Amino acid sequence: MEHTANYIGLIPLLPLVGAVVIGLMHMFTCTGKAFSEKLYGALACVGPVLSFFLALVVFFHLRDLPVDQRHLTHNVFTWFAVGDLKVDMAFLVDPLSGLYLLFVTFIGSLIHIYSIGYMAGDENFGKFFCYLNLFLGSMLILVLGSGPVVMFVGWEGVGLCSYLLISFFATDTENVLAGNKAFIVNRIGDLGFVLGMSVLFWAIGSGGFDYLSLKANTHLLTPGVGIAVCLLLFIGACGKSAQIPLYVWLPDAMAGPTPVSALIHAATMVTAGVYMVARFSFMYAHFTTAGTIVAWVGILTALLSAIYGMFQSDIKKILAYSTVSQLGYMFAGVGVAAYSAGIFHVFTHAFFKALLFLGAGSVIYALHHQQDVWQMGGLKNKMPRTYMTMLIGALALAGFPPFSGFFSKDEILFMALANGHTGIWLIGVLVAAMTAYYTFRLIFLVFHGTPRNQEAYDHAHEAPAVMTVPLIVLAAGAALAGVLNLPALFGGNMVVSTWLEPSLTEHHPHMSHGVEILAMLASVVAVVIGITIAYKKFGQGAEEPEFTGFAKLGYHKFYVDEIYNAVFVQPFKGIGSVISRFLEPNVTDSFVKFATWIYRKAGTSFKALQVGYVRVYALYMVIGLSLMSLFLSQSIN
Amino acid sequence: MQDFVSLLPLIVVGAGAILLMLLAAFEKLEVETGALISMVFYGAAFFIQLVVGGGPQDVIFDKIFNGMLATSNFSMAAGLVIFGCGFFTSMSCHSYFGVNKFCTLDFYAIKMFSVCGMVLLTMAQELVTAFIALEIMSLGIYILVGYDRTRLTATEAILKYLMLGAFAGAFFTMGAALIYGGAGSTKFVAISQFIAANPAGQPLLIGGAFFIFIAIFFKIAAFPFHAWVVDVYDGASAPVTGFMATALKAAVFALFANFIALSSGFHGQWIDFLFWVAVLTMFGGNLVAIGQSNIKRMLAASGIVHSGYLLIALVAINAEQFTGSVIGYYLAAYAVGTLGMFAAMSYLGGSGEKRVNFDDFKGLAKVRPYSAAAITVFLLSMAGIPPTAGFMGKFYIITSAISAGQMALAVLGVVSSILSMWYYLRLVISMYFHDASESFETQGAPLATISTFVLVVFVFAIGLYPIVI
Repeated sequence: MEHTANYIGLIPLLPLVGAVVIGLMHMFTCTGKAFSEKLYGALACVGPVLSFFLALVVFFHLRDLPVDQRHLTHNVFTWFAVGDLKVDMAFLVDPLSGLYLLFVTFIGSLIHIYSIGYMAGDENFGKFFCYLNLFLGSMLILVLGSGPVVMFVGWEGVGLCSYLLISFFATDTENVLAGNKAFIVNRIGDLGFVLGMSVLFWAIGSGGFDYLSLKANTHLLTPGVGIAVCLLLFIGACGKSAQIPLYVWLPDAMAGPTPVSALIHAATMVTAGVYMVARFSFMYAHFTTAGTIVAWVGILTALLSAIYGMFQSDIKKILAYSTVSQLGYMFAGVGVAAYSAGIFHVFTHAFFKALLFLGAGSVIYALHHQQDVWQMGGLKNKMPRTYMTMLIGALALAGFPPFSGFFSKDEILFMALANGHTGIWLIGVLVAAMTAYYTFRLIFLVFHGTPRNQEAYDHAHEAPAVMTVPLIVLAAGAALAGVLNLPALFGGNMVVSTWLEPSLTEHHPHMSHGVEILAMLASVVAVVIGITIAYKKFGQGAEEPEFTGFAKLGYHKFYVDEIYNAVFVQPFKGIGSVISRFLEPNVTDSFVKFATWIYRKAGTSFKALQVGYVRVYALYMVIGLSLMSLFLSQSIN
Repeated sequence: MQDFVSLLPLIVVGAGAILLMLLAAFEKLEVETGALISMVFYGAAFFIQLVVGGGPQDVIFDKIFNGMLATSNFSMAAGLVIFGCGFFTSMSCHSYFGVNKFCTLDFYAIKMFSVCGMVLLTMAQELVTAFIALEIMSLGIYILVGYDRTRLTATEAILKYLMLGAFAGAFFTMGAALIYGGAGSTKFVAISQFIAANPAGQPLLIGGAFFIFIAIFFKIAAFPFHAWVVDVYDGASAPVTGFMATALKAAVFALFANFIALSSGFHGQWIDFLFWVAVLTMFGGNLVAIGQSNIKRMLAASGIVHSGYLLIALVAINAEQFTGSVIGYYLAAYAVGTLGMFAAMSYLGGSGEKRVNFDDFKGLAKVRPYSAAAITVFLLSMAGIPPTAGFMGKFYIITSAISAGQMALAVLGVVSSILSMWYYLRLVISMYFHDASESFETQGAPLATISTFVLVVFVFAIGLYPIVI
């Protein structure tokens, strides 16, 4: 087992190799006869599945180590060294990244398998799997990187892949615009990340620029610099994990194929921000002001997107807003220094959100790309497996005990209360009720009542096994994953939190069991109220309402997109057009054109010197020789 | 024994040359077979050199050659570059002469003799030896340049090269005589010891070295001794031009670096002088290049610019730190890109080199996307765009200039490399932004095509994993 660390490099490498192989295969056959889909599918799944098994090996090896030695590093090569900055292409597996590795590769593999069914018949089948493998590989680099710079490689990689995959059906302008939006909004966040990283390096980077050295040197930061770094990094997290004010790209990202949405929401991309904050827990825990800001941004995002979620009609958009909302919970968790609770919610969320998306994909697939919930209804008889699994996912998302979401969400809320953030706790409970409401609104509208669109209903059918088997596996996870972190109250011993402890810097406050029970009851009551209201309104079938007043505002997402467009996009376009119409042709171009004119003239006159006569060439040599001797005699004396 | 092993690559190529010469007398063998035979010998020499290169650092041939020859890591690397150039040129020739039927077996024999001269030149530690090696190399090249006796431009090229080359050769002998007069020896080691013992200015030595520099400047086409290069490169057939541009330059620069490095006492007095030669060579070369409409002439002129970059590295040499590795790497990087260009020209040129102008390659990307992509890679490498070998080569040269305190030279080097984009990208524009007006049919064996794509791999491989000796 001594050499386990050497396998670490293989974990991200395998999907990346898959991406290259599949990409080349697709490239060379894109004009001729394509390879069979079976071959592509098999090749695409090999990398992720092998990575998962390697991750298991590494994980169990890690578990066998003594608690204080649980970190394996593998230095692949020194990437670059400039002055003080020495960056190794090195990977680190500790309890935090180990856990991430497991569920990223596990859920990633399931989504790959599911996609074989979902994407069947697409003419760019190979290209899709190339991107998908690249996406997973980038995410694994992000997770495994031993320092912020390597993490940034993966960070940019997932950004690129999300762009490629969101606009995968590129013949439709709307999809391309959605891809652009995701990419541009992410760039804004990336700027924050880069700035934060630069300030951090400027401040304490000379002592080594990987997490372990940074952790050891955090105490050297002045509070001002420390908070600035935390907030700049958090801007990056906001971009990637769709928090206020950069959440706008995620709902539009639903333009991509559904497995991609699942991959983005569950296993990759959006959880990267939470991971980053947890990775830097030594900083956020040290500078609590920054942590509190993170928590508030998180809980307000949760509230805002829960409001949006209650009024949407597109099945994927509802799920998208629920993701934004759940991410808000996660940030609230890591913000109140409950890192393990936040990560645990990422973990459970990965299962039930992947499940819900893949279930939604199965519904959409059955209804021939119908996504409007007001065109569905009564599907539970036609698609029993999808219904049952999605119901489990919905219960987990709503946070109904004993499904996984209950334990993780409740842990966050309880920790908020225990750490003295009563306001955050209150909003959190409210959001829990709203979550339960919109989740079951979706379930009731899609599966219960009577069909709203008879023709679509008649053609609906259960998805093939390659799609339903992943659903069932994920449903088992969504139902049971909560048990892993059973609080002491129920006789558990918080396995996940204990496991994560060496990686994170967190304190466990002591609260009486009484308060814990009360807090738990409050959220259970909130969930029950939410589900009841949803049942009353939609359980027996309902028609699409006309939105008025607040609901209309919510349906239109408070016009945030329009406001952003008016405040940021249009002014920038205006400045751009001034530059392109006036400044560039009249001012900058004239300098450039003048320079090229001189260069070209000089070239032409020089060409004239190439007369072609040997005697002239010899003359040049003699002149050169004379001038050189003159120069030498001057410089030597 | 070590002496013998270190000489083995040279012996192998020499034996190959003699063998081919004898075979040529019987007129039984196909010309194509000659290319293959020469490739075998180059390949063998390359691998022996590679294995020997891993041995003891320096071998001075005291016993058998009285210290006139020596090998070092640097000369080993230069030798590798030269053998590689010979190998890939033979591949190009194989295709080229499948279409242009003026070749005989002697061609390959002479090319191998020329390579012998080059390798000897990299090892030369004495002025007369260096001169002999230089002439072995040059004589071979003269013949290769004018091999197509029916073509006027080739005959013109050989005439110009021969006359001016003789002119330059005279400077070399003159310089050697002056140095012998001043230092009492023609060995580099003895000269440098003499300079160390007599630090005061020695007019005879300085004058002699100056004349030798002139001869070398001529061979590497430094400004203002560059004028011949455009006409000669244009007149020679494409593979030969590629061979001249790479192998010859590598050999002469090896001599130049050995000469400057061992005669370290000289160096302080040359820096200013070399500085101006480097700057003028880079900018003069650029100006010549942008006026050309013929790709071979453009590449010839761009070769002048690359000599300028190599001169920067020579300026950055100082007594404590020999930047031979930088020069060796740049020579290899430049050789890979240039050989690739000429390999592509060899099979795309067609019979009688009917496609040689920028306009002739219009729309190549539409008809032959992979060839166009390969050419683009070579051009980008020569222009110094990452992640190609050319970028790393320039990067090392600029860094060495900065660490030697030559900031101005570093900046001018970067400016020159920006200027060079003009003519490199011009070909890319021709290939990609126009419609094809012809079918770019090619005939003959595919060896040149294969070597083109192998060299593409090398461009990236050397660029991503720079092996600095």
